[in-house]
Amino acid sequence: MNPTSLIARDELRLMRRNRVAVIACLLLVLLTLVAVASSWAHQKGIEDLRARQQHEAERAFDAQPDRHPHRVVHYGTFIFRPLSALAAFDPGVDAFTGNSMFLEGHRQNTANFGDVNQSSLLVRFGQLTPAFVLQAVAPLLLIFLGYGAIARETERGTLRVLMMQGATRGAIVRGKLRALGAVALLVALPAILGLAALAATSGAAILPTVAIVLGYGAWLLLWVTVIVLVSTLVGRSRDALLALVAIWAVSVVLLPRVATDIASAAVPLQNRLQTEVAIARDLREMGDSHNPDDPHFAAFKRSVLQRYGVTRVEDLPVNYKGLLAVEGEKVTSALFDRYSGESYAAQGAQNGIVSAVGVISPAIALRSLSMAAAGTDFAAHRGFLEQAEAYRYDLVQRLNRLQADGVTYADDTARDAGADRRKRVAAGNWEEMPDFAYRAPDGATLAARSLPGLAVILGWLVFAGASLAIATRRLGERQ
Amino acid sequence: MTLWRHEARLLLRQRLAMIALALLAVLTVAALGAGMAEVSRQHAAIAAIPAAQAEDIGAIAAWVDREKDAGSAAYYSFHPTWNAPSPLAFAALGMRDVSPYILRVRALGLEAQIYDGDTFNPELALPGRFDFAFVLVFLAPLFVIALCHDLVSGEREAGRWRTLAALPYGGAALWRRRSLLRLGLLSAAIGLPFALAAAMSGVSPGAILIVLLLVLAYLLFWVGLCALVGRLRWSSVANAATLAGLWLVLVLVLPTLGHVAINRAIPVNQGAEIALAQREAVNRAWDIPRAETMRRFYAGHPQWADSPPLETAFHYKWYFAFHQVGDESVAKQVRAYRHGLETRDEAARTLGWVLPSVGVQALLTRMARTDLTAQLAYRDAIRHFHRRLREFYYGYLFRDRPFGKADFERAPRFDAAP
Repeated sequence: MNPTSLIARDELRLMRRNRVAVIACLLLVLLTLVAVASSWAHQKGIEDLRARQQHEAERAFDAQPDRHPHRVVHYGTFIFRPLSALAAFDPGVDAFTGNSMFLEGHRQNTANFGDVNQSSLLVRFGQLTPAFVLQAVAPLLLIFLGYGAIARETERGTLRVLMMQGATRGAIVRGKLRALGAVALLVALPAILGLAALAATSGAAILPTVAIVLGYGAWLLLWVTVIVLVSTLVGRSRDALLALVAIWAVSVVLLPRVATDIASAAVPLQNRLQTEVAIARDLREMGDSHNPDDPHFAAFKRSVLQRYGVTRVEDLPVNYKGLLAVEGEKVTSALFDRYSGESYAAQGAQNGIVSAVGVISPAIALRSLSMAAAGTDFAAHRGFLEQAEAYRYDLVQRLNRLQADGVTYADDTARDAGADRRKRVAAGNWEEMPDFAYRAPDGATLAARSLPGLAVILGWLVFAGASLAIATRRLGERQ
Repeated sequence: MTLWRHEARLLLRQRLAMIALALLAVLTVAALGAGMAEVSRQHAAIAAIPAAQAEDIGAIAAWVDREKDAGSAAYYSFHPTWNAPSPLAFAALGMRDVSPYILRVRALGLEAQIYDGDTFNPELALPGRFDFAFVLVFLAPLFVIALCHDLVSGEREAGRWRTLAALPYGGAALWRRRSLLRLGLLSAAIGLPFALAAAMSGVSPGAILIVLLLVLAYLLFWVGLCALVGRLRWSSVANAATLAGLWLVLVLVLPTLGHVAINRAIPVNQGAEIALAQREAVNRAWDIPRAETMRRFYAGHPQWADSPPLETAFHYKWYFAFHQVGDESVAKQVRAYRHGLETRDEAARTLGWVLPSVGVQALLTRMARTDLTAQLAYRDAIRHFHRRLREFYYGYLFRDRPFGKADFERAPRFDAAP
């Protein structure tokens, strides 16, 4: 057996004898199992609830009686954001984004009823998910098990003994790395198995699952390297422990919060009130639909009359009010798109700042990698919002065209007692409106989004490995 | 007294301890600064409401004034409400980054409006904010551990403990002096910057004192924990590892477990169901005889029952009546939803009696009025304001009074402190 294996075996035997270490490992495995189970049950619960509510909303929409199409524009429809396949591993922003949206004409509503608004203050302490266990808890356990790996030998003078017995510096360090790496594997195994089971049962794509496994593997390997590195550099095990806990606290706990504060201070977001007022202002400048002499709508009327070769709206073969509704929705929706595009861009810039901080804190890089691959990050949420808006626009315009073709102008403007009845179109039309079908980003897209985070962590791993190689050469010199 | 001075001198010579104290003070100042900047941004957003609102309402008033139709005025006018940050909000931002603090409402159905959120970046909300509460609850214990984990074991390992224990005022008295000194300095590093920032923000002296006592009590808990672990007579490094492990469990793991347990034990029927039911009730009005809606409305609001009967033409008073009837039809679900939220919050508070980390966070956010209770109170204020809005517009709609430019000025204004 070569010296590296011997040293690794020896280190592992020492850990096994340390009852606290064994209990801590078992507790972590237990915590991971609880996290996997509760996260999976939570996801199932949410999925069922949202599917049921979505079904209920669609049923209610289709079951509408004969109605005037414009009533249905206001009746609107509710859509519920389905969870991504890997959301049980890392739910990401799901708790913070609303999970239901009311879609109607003339208005772009917010997604409401996020978990964060329906939970106690504990939600801000973090969520117990497999991702959280691997991101925050596992590194700390590795620190507890590994801070003394080399420092202990230096402190007690056993390093000399080892080297006199013929173990090279490299063999000692590699042995310690291997032992701690084995523990890291053990610690990560339940979460990885949970992920695999999840991916298999929920039909998640292979590529993002692989990206997650690679990312967390590199993350734990990075910690193993850093722990051995610090243990090599710092002569006393207590100092090594304090230094490692400090590194952990700064990178995992402190920097993610500081980064978000920097980002939100650097790039302000326009609030909803200001956005709505600005949209109303732009609408007034483009054309006032309440003003019969408004140039924009007068020009629109002229163009319609010209197209059909008539002189009065009453002579049009279609309902002018429906055409007007189509035009109005087109104008307002263009503005919605512009303002939400600006808001998305600002939020993207904020996330860019956080990612930049992520270059010095691989914990941030890992978080974005994990969320991106799980399809639970801002980009995925934005994709949902954009699809929702596209669907809303399409649905409203179908209804407006139904008003143009299915209701006559004479009926639509009539005010006699029977007019209400004549304005309605048959209930069968509602069933023909398409239902909202969310198209989740495919595996390749998700995996591609996770690449920047993966690159940062691998970069750190290379850097830490090189530092350790240099530190190894000087091992035992300062005594 | 000389003994104390001597201890202080010893501590001052420890580089690690001094760096730790300075770092804690710097982090506290940074967190206070970040909190105050966020609060001033929120104040600025609230201060910008009147100008934007005047422009918006002015444009609506201009065209409504032509027909003087109260229904159009009520339908198109949005009225702002806001929830100004309390003086202490900078210290614990709580839910203020994810819950709206500005919301515009119309006199239409409130249940379709009151749950709307404001624009925020979910990825920024996810890790939480860097505020004073975070420094105190999450970071300060780590500093206590760094400074206090080896008070006795360090001397024992240096071979000095037996000598020290034999000295007059040595042993336990020495340990007490050292612990108190560290507790005092750590509290000062957190408390002094806080007291200064709080005084600048106009927090009442009583509240400042309570927070300072809270800081002291929380740090004392961690010093006590260090002492307990120290009694096991383990090595310094074993103490440090055990204490850091306890920190992980008390501050990170147990609160998240508690969150899962509470949300599991207390199911809250989703708010989305209220929105669905209210929409159904509101839209049904178009398919049933209008008189039926009016009958239901007048039964609950007899003060308008003497309004002239509806004619065949559309009348906005019917439109607003069915919106209100729609709201009233889900009142029971709204109460149940709210009760569920309150029960969850209550359960978390109860957990705070056992878990100091949760207790401190709960107390700070309560005092800063940035917790769920404060959010629900804001919703109550919106409901109250919305009632006044309805009353105001009904006075025109049900009496067929014209609504001119001057009447826009008479609309009720949200009073932030009811």
